[in-house]
Amino acid sequence: MIHNRLSVFRAERGLSRKDVAEKVGVNPQTIGYLERGDYAPSVELALKLAAVFGVRVEDLFSLAPFAPLAKALRKSGEA
Amino acid sequence: MFVRSKTHPMGRRLTRRAVLALTGAVYALYGAGCALQLLPLGPDLAASASVAGLLMIAASLAAFALLAGSSLQRQAQEPESQLDERERFERNRAAYVAFSAFAGLVLLGVFYIVIANDLAEAGKAELWIPQTSAHWNAVFWGLMLLALTLPAAVLAWSSGDAEDQAADDL
Repeated sequence: MIHNRLSVFRAERGLSRKDVAEKVGVNPQTIGYLERGDYAPSVELALKLAAVFGVRVEDLFSLAPFAPLAKALRKSGEA
Repeated sequence: MFVRSKTHPMGRRLTRRAVLALTGAVYALYGAGCALQLLPLGPDLAASASVAGLLMIAASLAAFALLAGSSLQRQAQEPESQLDERERFERNRAAYVAFSAFAGLVLLGVFYIVIANDLAEAGKAELWIPQTSAHWNAVFWGLMLLALTLPAAVLAWSSGDAEDQAADDL
């Protein structure tokens, strides 16, 4: 299974699923499927999505679950 | 067959339950309607059975008309260039399942006709087999309905919950 932080980045940028879908050329439903982990994107789509948010692909998708946001923030505060 | 309307160019969004119910209605009503129309029921019942059969076939076609404008039918029937990669992936998987089911059903039907003919020639049993042009018409249009709706039915069967799909509009 591929884990992702699509919904986090989308909320941060204030984009709707329709907005993201239009930018990468897919049906808005497909963004929902990706966010829920019901569909694993192709390399091409993953690269397009990373480009939309201006992040690396591995910041958006991962084979291992992402750490909860609160935990990541706490960790960055300690550093 | 997908019928694109001006108001819903991407197809009308129906829940998976609605698509499954409509598909079931298409198959059940068409089958029962043809049976009432074509099977010999005796002179007392023939006229009323024929009218009831016609009404059931008309209801089946009405259910098919609703399905023909649905978003799942769009996904099942649109050219590849009109679908995104997820839709293509799901459609290809559904088409494989639908083709396997369709081929299996046709094979079973042919097998039944072969056995029924053998039994009739041997004088052991008289099973019903299509003989007149009306019988074969009913079989042909039934298979046509099945071929046109089965991929969308498989897509509905394997797709996510209606709540999730509604949330996709956000």
